[in-house]
Amino acid sequence: MISQDPWVWISAILTIFSFTLLYGDNKFFRFAQYTYTAVVVGHSVVVGVQTLQGRFSPLISGQKPMLLISLILGLMVLFVVWRPYAWIASIPYAVIIGVGTGLMMRATLQTDVIGSIRAVIAETGKIFIGSPYDQFGYLIRVTFTIGTMFYFLFTVFVKGTGSKPVSYLRDFGKYALLIYLGLSLGNSAMQYSGLGASAINRLLRQWLGLGG
Amino acid sequence: MGATLTYVRLNLSRVLIIVGALAALGTWYFSVPMVDSVFKEVNAWQINISSFTLFTGLMTISMRYIRAIQRRDSDIWPFQAYALVLIIVWVLMGLTVGMYSDTYQTAYLSTKITLHIAILGQIIFYFTSGAYRTFRIRTLRTAALAISAVLIVALNAPWVQNPFPAASNFAMWLLNNPQMAASRTVVITGGIGSIVLGIRVILGLEKGAQRITEGE
Amino acid sequence: MKIPDLKSQYVWVTVALLAYIIPGVFPLGTGFPMSDTTMEIYDIVQSLPEGSICAIGGSGVFAFDLESSAGTIPALKIMAENGVRIINVPLGTEAVQYEKFLIDASRIETKYGGTHEYGTDWIQFPYIPGGASGLVAFLDDIHAASPADVYGTPLDELPLGRELTNWEDIDLWICPHWGFPTIVQYVTGERGITSISFAQSGAYARYSPYMMSYPGQVYMTNGFLGGAQMEQLVGMKGLGHAAIDAYQVLSLLFVVFVALGNATMLTAGEEE
Repeated sequence: MISQDPWVWISAILTIFSFTLLYGDNKFFRFAQYTYTAVVVGHSVVVGVQTLQGRFSPLISGQKPMLLISLILGLMVLFVVWRPYAWIASIPYAVIIGVGTGLMMRATLQTDVIGSIRAVIAETGKIFIGSPYDQFGYLIRVTFTIGTMFYFLFTVFVKGTGSKPVSYLRDFGKYALLIYLGLSLGNSAMQYSGLGASAINRLLRQWLGLGG
Repeated sequence: MGATLTYVRLNLSRVLIIVGALAALGTWYFSVPMVDSVFKEVNAWQINISSFTLFTGLMTISMRYIRAIQRRDSDIWPFQAYALVLIIVWVLMGLTVGMYSDTYQTAYLSTKITLHIAILGQIIFYFTSGAYRTFRIRTLRTAALAISAVLIVALNAPWVQNPFPAASNFAMWLLNNPQMAASRTVVITGGIGSIVLGIRVILGLEKGAQRITEGE
Repeated sequence: MKIPDLKSQYVWVTVALLAYIIPGVFPLGTGFPMSDTTMEIYDIVQSLPEGSICAIGGSGVFAFDLESSAGTIPALKIMAENGVRIINVPLGTEAVQYEKFLIDASRIETKYGGTHEYGTDWIQFPYIPGGASGLVAFLDDIHAASPADVYGTPLDELPLGRELTNWEDIDLWICPHWGFPTIVQYVTGERGITSISFAQSGAYARYSPYMMSYPGQVYMTNGFLGGAQMEQLVGMKGLGHAAIDAYQVLSLLFVVFVALGNATMLTAGEEE
């Protein structure tokens, strides 16, 4: 039984308009595109207003007068959209860049770099213990990591002593990277497939009332 | 006076970057109460400033669309006018009912989320036709790419996993070993690059990141 | 014999009909085996003592994060049954709406006849801006970072809010968003809290190194399949099952089309 809910109808019509892109660019898709843009911007504003209300109410009530500094810096940020006065935004953006850089550096160093290198070292030790299945797995991890590192670091061909083993390792790394790209691409098919199912099932089941 | 102002503006930006970055680093690696309190304050500024950046999208879109509607030199100006009206309606609706209300949630799910899921869901059509055209095995390189993609698509599928339960374990093995190893390299090298970029930003060498701070 | 090159539109129509429309109207009810990682995650969530606090939060885009909902909704049901308290910590502008969607879809709230009462058993925080800065501020001092909930009620007026101080009060962090690395870096890496992600399949490929960097502390399931496995463990059929139904046919079509493409290439080569 076809749905009577107006929101389901709006959702269905917008889904169909969106899928018309498969036919080619057209006015229906543009309507959907501009609806999307408008709702994204509108939502940002709603979130922004409610966030500001929450964060600056202590300033209005007099509990935290120091918030005035943040308020002034925040208002300065808005000048970024006017080219002649964009320099005013430089001060608050310097705060964002500074704090963001510091936090990024400490987390990246600890988790991404040291954490990963520590894992490689641990796995190198595990190549020689455990079941053959696990040993092979750890061997693959370590060799693929080293191979792809060589590919990234020596992408430009190295000449002279040691160039042959480096070039073999680099080629091994190249194929390791291609296998990685293929596996990650293939794995992501599940995501888009599921989202397509979600969109089309909404049309079939929620709107038209067909199916389970 | 102009030169003095420019000097102060440039150097104030650099000082703020250095103070913010060193406070964020110092509070983690050292136990100094003063550094902690500086970081807490500067971090709070950062969070509050970020709240205002939510409005820059509205300002940019409005300026661009209003200019295009006034000029009417392309056939998309009616859509831009519609978008501006919808933004106003949406904001009024959102502020009236509240963003955590069921009404707002229903409206949001039925419009933006529906559209986004539909746009992303279309990718699978392009994905499949793209695979038909590009995964043609001519060299060892294309074989490596195509075979690994097709293999994981098949191994994740119930029509393979149900008759061969080991396929599920093999799929996870592929993802957790060869795939993870190369991904780890991307993480390590990306991490090293990010740290170098961070050092360059702190030293004021990264002109691109500071373009807004340098001004015209 | 030369096999003609198919137009893309024929591929799309075949995919739409066989992978989506037919299974959409006549669900296949596809079965699938269980994976060890999903069982491990299920056991971790199941073993949380009553009264524990689980944070659900992160930053991401709703449509991309939807794939996570297949696993997160069953996890919410398990936690509600076991009396685990939940705090939703949105670090992205869409995260508030997504976390509301998760709570509504899981039906754990008392307004749906569930067991969890707002303010006592669960709290929704408002959007915390600043990304990593906001997360670090939240972890260091919850009341300072977000003094009120999404309705504007001061945390001190909520029973659960009064118990929250900082990261030490959080027993588990579930990230149903795309921005899982940020959570791993600051929640697990810096503070040692176990984190779980019902990862999107695209995200799993990118973030699996973090599982290896923090074994026993970082766990991820793989996309809709992992989500469907969690659904099966709690006895529900949701988005995960529907997605696997479609994937059952789509994966077959994918293999067929790639084989057909190569056959087309080979026969065209022979002709030449």
